[in-house]
Amino acid sequence: MTSHTGRLYALAFALVAFFLAWAVVAAHPWTTTAGDPRLRALAVREAQLRREAKLVNQVVAQRWALYRSELRARRSQIAATKSTAAPSPAVRVVTLPPLTITRTS
Amino acid sequence: MIERHTFRAMGTEIEFLVEADGAAGALDAAEDEFHRLEALLSRFREDSELSRLNRDGAVDAGPDLRHVVELALAARERTAGRFDPTIHDALVAAGYDRSFEQIDPWCQAPCLAPGVAGGAVSVEGTRIELDRGVRIDLGGIGKGYAAERAAEILATAGPCLVNAGGDIAVRGGRWPVGVETAAEPLTLELSRGGLATSGQDRRRWRRNGRELHHLIDPRTGEPAETDLLRVTAIAPDAIEAEVAAKSLFLAGAERAACEADAAGIAAVLVTGDGRTILAGGLAA
Repeated sequence: MTSHTGRLYALAFALVAFFLAWAVVAAHPWTTTAGDPRLRALAVREAQLRREAKLVNQVVAQRWALYRSELRARRSQIAATKSTAAPSPAVRVVTLPPLTITRTS
Repeated sequence: MIERHTFRAMGTEIEFLVEADGAAGALDAAEDEFHRLEALLSRFREDSELSRLNRDGAVDAGPDLRHVVELALAARERTAGRFDPTIHDALVAAGYDRSFEQIDPWCQAPCLAPGVAGGAVSVEGTRIELDRGVRIDLGGIGKGYAAERAAEILATAGPCLVNAGGDIAVRGGRWPVGVETAAEPLTLELSRGGLATSGQDRRRWRRNGRELHHLIDPRTGEPAETDLLRVTAIAPDAIEAEVAAKSLFLAGAERAACEADAAGIAAVLVTGDGRTILAGGLAA
């Protein structure tokens, strides 16, 4: 009975030790990122993409600002055209008693 | 026969005059329109579309709020910032933070730092967005807009005049309108267009001993200091008249008279020292 339990413990220990060894080997602890040319290339590419994204964002912001300023100018043109196109109000000073009064609103 | 109908909305007395028999339906519809627009455009109503915009900084707005904001932004451009809807925080800082009837006219609380106006507001499609910290007030221009909308409705019944606490819209007929001057009141006869009065003679209060009024100069963020007491301007519609009256008021008497003459805006300028100047082609 005792030797049977001992064998089971030994087997379980052996399995744990095996998987630990597997994990350690799979992690390639002896390799360094600095040494891997593929990782270096990826890092360079990432930096390049970040720079390009920054440039694109700057261009988009400039174009957006230009669009907004042109839109404002266009809107004020439209407003000016509307105000000149509207019929001027007919008004004159009279001596009649007023029907209503305008006060500070 | 002229039918008269009055009620309160937008913190002021509203008056409809219509030259028609049986205009009850149009009068009711025009009053409903006022209340509908007040519910959308009031900064004092928590649930208004404008309050939601000011609270959240952005909103998918209905056509009325969008249109009034666009009109206000166009007016800001046209007047080089003398008319500016982004004076909300400046009004609040001056103490106009609740409906005017609820302001304590002798409040001892100190004024807050002047609010800054001129922040960015964008309208793209149905979306209105405010820059961080920007809030807008559409009090004056909203009343002008409501007066125009109500006049459109009333005009279906007959010639009419809508007076929204001084902002007047006219459609047809001949309407003698009294204007307060430094001396005897003047009567102007209007047959179309709009008229509005802006001044520092009403909507005044004191705060910590300082006399304040509701017309904010967007350049300083404080109640405007000018030699004018009051300006009445006549324009193609009540919205334009409201903008012109405020802009001329901030310009000061001399400059306002020159600008009104140059632009052909009929105006009555009343100065603080008791002079009345007719400008923009208006003659006694």
